[in-house]
Amino acid sequence: MAAARKHKRMAASQPGFLSFNSGLDGNSSDIKRRKRVNKNKKKNWNKYSDIQDVEEFLDDVRLQEKAAGGLIAEKPDASLFFVDTGEKDKETQPQTTVKKGKRSKPLRIDLILQPDSRIPAPKNVLAFQQPNAKKQRRMAEKAARLAAMGVLPRREKLLQLRRAAAASGLPVKETPVANNNPARAFYDLWSAGTPEMADPYYLEQTKQKLVKRPDRLNEKPSVLPAIEVVGPGGSYNPDFFSHQDLLREAHEVEVKKLKAEERLARQLAVKEDIATEESSFKEQVEGLIEEGDVEPEEPEGGSEDTVIGPTATQEKKTEKQRRKEKAQRIKELRRKAERQMIDKQQQLFQLRSIRANLKTQEQRTKQRQAQRKANQEAQKSMPRRLGRLKFQAPDLDVQLSHELAGSLRGLKPEGSILKDRFMSLQKRNLIEPRERAKFKRKYKVKYSEKRAFREIV
Amino acid sequence: MGGLQKKKYESGSATNYITRNKARKKLSLSLADFRRLCILKGIYPHEPKHKKKVNKGSTAPRTFYLLKDIRFLLHEPIVGKFREYKIFVRKLRKAYGKAEWGGVERLKENKPVYKLDHIIKERYPTFIDALRDVDDSLSMCFLFSTFARTGKCHVQTIQLCRRLSVEWMNYIISSRSLRKVFLSIKGIYYQAEVLGQTITWIIPYQFAHDHPTDVDYRVMATFTEFYTTLLGFVNFRLYQTLNLVYPPKLDGQGEISLKSEFEEDYALESESYTEKLSALSASLARMVPSAEEEETELDHFPTEGEDLEKMEVREKMEQEQIKQKKFFEGLKFFLNREVPRESLAFVIRCFGGEVSWDKSLCIGSTYDATDETITHHIVDRPSIDKQYINRYYIQPQWVYDSVNAKILLPVEEYFLGVTLPPHLSPFVEETEGDYVPPEKLKLMALQRGEKPQTEEDEEEEEEEEEEEEEDDDDEEDDQSEEEDEANLAEMEDKRSRGKSLSVKVTPGKAKAENRKRAAEEEKAEEKRLAIMMMKKREKYLYDKIMFGKKRNVREANKLAAKRKAHDDASKEDKKKKKKKC
Repeated sequence: MAAARKHKRMAASQPGFLSFNSGLDGNSSDIKRRKRVNKNKKKNWNKYSDIQDVEEFLDDVRLQEKAAGGLIAEKPDASLFFVDTGEKDKETQPQTTVKKGKRSKPLRIDLILQPDSRIPAPKNVLAFQQPNAKKQRRMAEKAARLAAMGVLPRREKLLQLRRAAAASGLPVKETPVANNNPARAFYDLWSAGTPEMADPYYLEQTKQKLVKRPDRLNEKPSVLPAIEVVGPGGSYNPDFFSHQDLLREAHEVEVKKLKAEERLARQLAVKEDIATEESSFKEQVEGLIEEGDVEPEEPEGGSEDTVIGPTATQEKKTEKQRRKEKAQRIKELRRKAERQMIDKQQQLFQLRSIRANLKTQEQRTKQRQAQRKANQEAQKSMPRRLGRLKFQAPDLDVQLSHELAGSLRGLKPEGSILKDRFMSLQKRNLIEPRERAKFKRKYKVKYSEKRAFREIV
Repeated sequence: MGGLQKKKYESGSATNYITRNKARKKLSLSLADFRRLCILKGIYPHEPKHKKKVNKGSTAPRTFYLLKDIRFLLHEPIVGKFREYKIFVRKLRKAYGKAEWGGVERLKENKPVYKLDHIIKERYPTFIDALRDVDDSLSMCFLFSTFARTGKCHVQTIQLCRRLSVEWMNYIISSRSLRKVFLSIKGIYYQAEVLGQTITWIIPYQFAHDHPTDVDYRVMATFTEFYTTLLGFVNFRLYQTLNLVYPPKLDGQGEISLKSEFEEDYALESESYTEKLSALSASLARMVPSAEEEETELDHFPTEGEDLEKMEVREKMEQEQIKQKKFFEGLKFFLNREVPRESLAFVIRCFGGEVSWDKSLCIGSTYDATDETITHHIVDRPSIDKQYINRYYIQPQWVYDSVNAKILLPVEEYFLGVTLPPHLSPFVEETEGDYVPPEKLKLMALQRGEKPQTEEDEEEEEEEEEEEEEDDDDEEDDQSEEEDEANLAEMEDKRSRGKSLSVKVTPGKAKAENRKRAAEEEKAEEKRLAIMMMKKREKYLYDKIMFGKKRNVREANKLAAKRKAHDDASKEDKKKKKKKC
């Protein structure tokens, strides 16, 4: 700024300088009396120094710049003046041929608002500033450095890959397809792919390889086959006897169920001897009538007896007694030893029976082992208790003799395969038995008759 | 004394198990997601041996999992996907609530999906493992493919199941691997032998659905999701083994012959191809257009003696099988509109027959009812007005029974309006001494190549005779044994009482030597001696076995007698009716 001002001042001091408002020069010349002030304060400099002339000059310069785009003194003459040679163009211009519409002429108001200054508006520096410019510059530098070394950024690499894929005719990006999409493609899943060369631990940690499935999980929880074919009695046109067999089987199941039900009913039945008036009265008076007869003294007597039992005042044993006792003890011991000896000797003769005993024992254990093993085998095909509910075998699908259709056309299918499959899954312990969730209402339903209805009734 | 006091439930089985709820929390999944995960990964609940110990003293019934299994689940990548899906649903609901349709669109586009491929690879490390377990998936796919599109499950799932099941049927047709069919009151059981594995599956009858309410559809849908993926990969591999194009394409001939001008009546342009595939009436395109079917021949190795004989036997068996595989070849069937089209078409095509139906019934019919070359017309109604003289009009059971018997059964018993013979289950395998229904006996006789007599009654009589003979044989054996033993006992008795056996000398007679008889006697004697030489324990076992056999025979006899009585009674009834008429 200072430099510009200096330059302008210099321009003003030059001899050829023309001022636009030169008429003002005379007015400014009246001299005031200078006030004495301290000049060591900047405030005073601004307040008391007379800069009128400079301001005027600068205003003039600004005006010149605005109107003419620079100082007039510095302009070449050709740009300021032209030679007036009269109006000869007017005749040549076609006046009426092109009638311009209203649109072509700008509105006056717009013209007024048009900036008429020759100086371009100053640029808003902030508007052009880039955030993180420094960082980006650095990044760009780094990218350039890497590019010089031959390392491409990821985006570039992906782009190139995509281009290569497009060139080879393959689809650019495989959009993931839902599992149940009917048009989904399959491939050879079990073909031997290229064996992985990398370290298995590395692959596992980077989730490129899945954790090995334990072998235990490949065993099936039940030995039952997936599809259990119904017996020959379940044919749509069965042989008479196999059909009868099937019916009997179903009948037995029903009988069993009925029995269980009956048993339950019997157990829950109210006992026959319901309290009558008489019996209840008896119960109420029980103990009241005969109270006088019972002697309450007996327990006292008993207690006295018990007190007598353990004698506190026992006499000391005499020496003789002790001796006798000891001899007795020794004798007893000897007798026992002798008995043992004899028994041992006798056992020699019992050898046969002992052996027989052992044999029977062994046989029993073997039998039990076999039994246990058989039980375990049977368990393998049984449904297990896997949750709150027990597995309940579904009813046998049976058609009675009169329901059987003679031909395929008249056949009415029995049971539902969906249900059958569901039960099979439960039976094979693949899922736990479940029942349909019961509908539970949170609040009580309140019924109210509509008025229209009430009026009729 | 030393050591800290041991606390309860800090080691042993209590730490080996984890309850379902704890496992769920450990994985931070909802119960539904946890269930799904367990089904997909094949992790099943486990019943501990000592429930009270595992349950820390409580006896409340709980579902337990092995802790190690749950730890293994923690590594599963789709657990993350489940969580993502949960968040997706939340966002979607929010967007709907705010009516931000753009947001809804964007979210739906980026719906998180997961793949089950790696799980299948993990659970079935080899193809054969997968094939062994394909029974379940087949049944489920066939079942789901018959569902109506009523919102019980995803429409897409139904379509996928349909596609996979059609692919499977086409494979079975082109590999000729169907073995047994059984029409039960539940549905149709099929059994096929694929790459040495017996595979059984069940298909429901068409239009037989009432949706049971006590089935958890969500669980079933999860199983189906897994099974469809499995079946897809299995199908791909199977098609590869036969050199067929996957996804299946009709071969050139089939495509031309199936082209008809009324396609638009059945299906949209986009669907007509799959519909044609599912019609099962044309064969599939192969990768390498081979010269017909290369018949597999057993390798011949130079062997000696017995092996050679065995080889011959095996070769014979093989040839027989090949013959059985195409015993419908050269026959032309026409299905009337009331018979189950898909099942019959499948079975007939499996054994090399040609099949067609009315044009208005379904897409893919190859010839008309008026075709003169039709050999069998399958009808399931009491009578038909317009009959051609050069074809058999039979009921559909003939096809199934023939397939089970592996021969072309005589058609007389299956004519229109005739009371059908019972449809026997091919899955029953009788052991020796069991009761065998006479129909089956007849069938076995037919299979052996014996000619049945034309008249029904005679046949029956013959059978009965046969049966009786067999029974008699058994009884005779028993009797002879018993007699021998009785004689021996007598002799010994006499010897012990002994002393004076009445001895006499009489002039000898030249015994007519019956060599055959002698040999038999010798054999019987040997057997008797062997029985005598048995140890006590073995003898006991032997007696037990013999007793069981006899009991079986007795029961079978009883049943046969009952059957005879029943038949007689029914016959008499018939006669009476006839008389009345």
